[in-house]
Amino acid sequence: MWRRVCVAPWRSALRCSHATSAVLRGRALAPISSSQPLFNAPHLFSSVSGEGALKKSVEDVAPIATGHEREEIEAELEGKKRFDMDAPCGPFGTKEAPAVIQSHYDKRIVGCPGGEGEDEHDVVWFWLEKDKPHECPVCSQYFVLEVIGNGGNPDGHSDDEGH
Amino acid sequence: MIESQRHSYHLVDPSPWPISGSLGALATTVGGVMYMHPFQGGATLLSLGLIFILYTMFVWWRDVLRESTLEGHHTKAVQLGPRYGSILFIVSEVMFLFAFFWASSHSSLAPTVEIGGIWPPKGIGVLDPWEIPFLNTPILPSSGAAVTWAHHAILAGKEKRAVYALVATVSLALVSTGFQGMEYYQAPPTISDSIYGSTFFLATGFHGFHVIIGTLFLIICGIRQYLGQMTKEHHVGFEAAAWYWHFVDVVRLFPFVSIYWWGGI
Repeated sequence: MWRRVCVAPWRSALRCSHATSAVLRGRALAPISSSQPLFNAPHLFSSVSGEGALKKSVEDVAPIATGHEREEIEAELEGKKRFDMDAPCGPFGTKEAPAVIQSHYDKRIVGCPGGEGEDEHDVVWFWLEKDKPHECPVCSQYFVLEVIGNGGNPDGHSDDEGH
Repeated sequence: MIESQRHSYHLVDPSPWPISGSLGALATTVGGVMYMHPFQGGATLLSLGLIFILYTMFVWWRDVLRESTLEGHHTKAVQLGPRYGSILFIVSEVMFLFAFFWASSHSSLAPTVEIGGIWPPKGIGVLDPWEIPFLNTPILPSSGAAVTWAHHAILAGKEKRAVYALVATVSLALVSTGFQGMEYYQAPPTISDSIYGSTFFLATGFHGFHVIIGTLFLIICGIRQYLGQMTKEHHVGFEAAAWYWHFVDVVRLFPFVSIYWWGGI
């Protein structure tokens, strides 16, 4: 069906071709939410990227949109994402330039799949905690947590176990 | 910025409609069985159950429209649910009708001795396929073309035209249903007329039932389009109705060829 046709090129864009011609490109998986979303809005993107002087407003795209749908469209028109459901990706993380993983809380589950091509390994999962950079035991990719929200424990309880 | 919800999914509020639909289904099935066997009150329970189911459908889908159009919960991710759901539902309907056409072929390709070893069975007054069936057969695909017209109008943002196109679609559908009802009324065989009657009326009957459901769906779409609730980017409900409608009118061709035309000679 037509949607699947659109997902493929988008997925390849997700391979984050970052500008650096660095040899190794690392990817980090951080699936707190469920699996990769299948959605995209190629027609919206294409219309925005083609725009020069004229900025589209939400009303042009979806005149009666409201609520979360409206926020999603507004963010897309500005090139940002309102609901960022994708796994983070970026260049391979080193001690000098660690892979920065964002979280609204003080810790997040992260999975390291290794570098590009031959440097891939089975995904290694770990908790990445605030102020505690983590090195993958297999490929030594370096991760650091960036707290962009309220912090605190992801399950909302206090840190001591058993309650 | 601390946002209220960081994921794009819709966690619905608690709702009584699932349980009310289940209770309606329970009443319908139990009442139906009671009605078909010698039990008192079966008909009442059956009708009550059906009314309850219809009421649940009305209020449940009204809530979906409120959550989507009026509250904006239907982000792109959420829209995938109804999309894929509609497709899967239509596939299940195809399977359902496939069963009836298989049954019809099973009985007609190797007619048993009890009906005279011929098809149509001896004594059955078969309808002339080139009269009403042949008239109905182009009417439904034309309404399919009209629904495509409506879709293009919605995509182009021509809201008024879309309403007209939907009115045309529904009118053609109602005409075809009217003709079909007339044909049923006048047809010599009945459902109890041997295996011919059973397979004929079940296959065409269920198809007709689906036409009526599809017509109702399209009427709701027409009303919503008139109220301006559909945009050119977001009209999942209309697409579901259009897919259902195309399924209905494509399926129409199969009974015409196999049951009316081939089955009548």
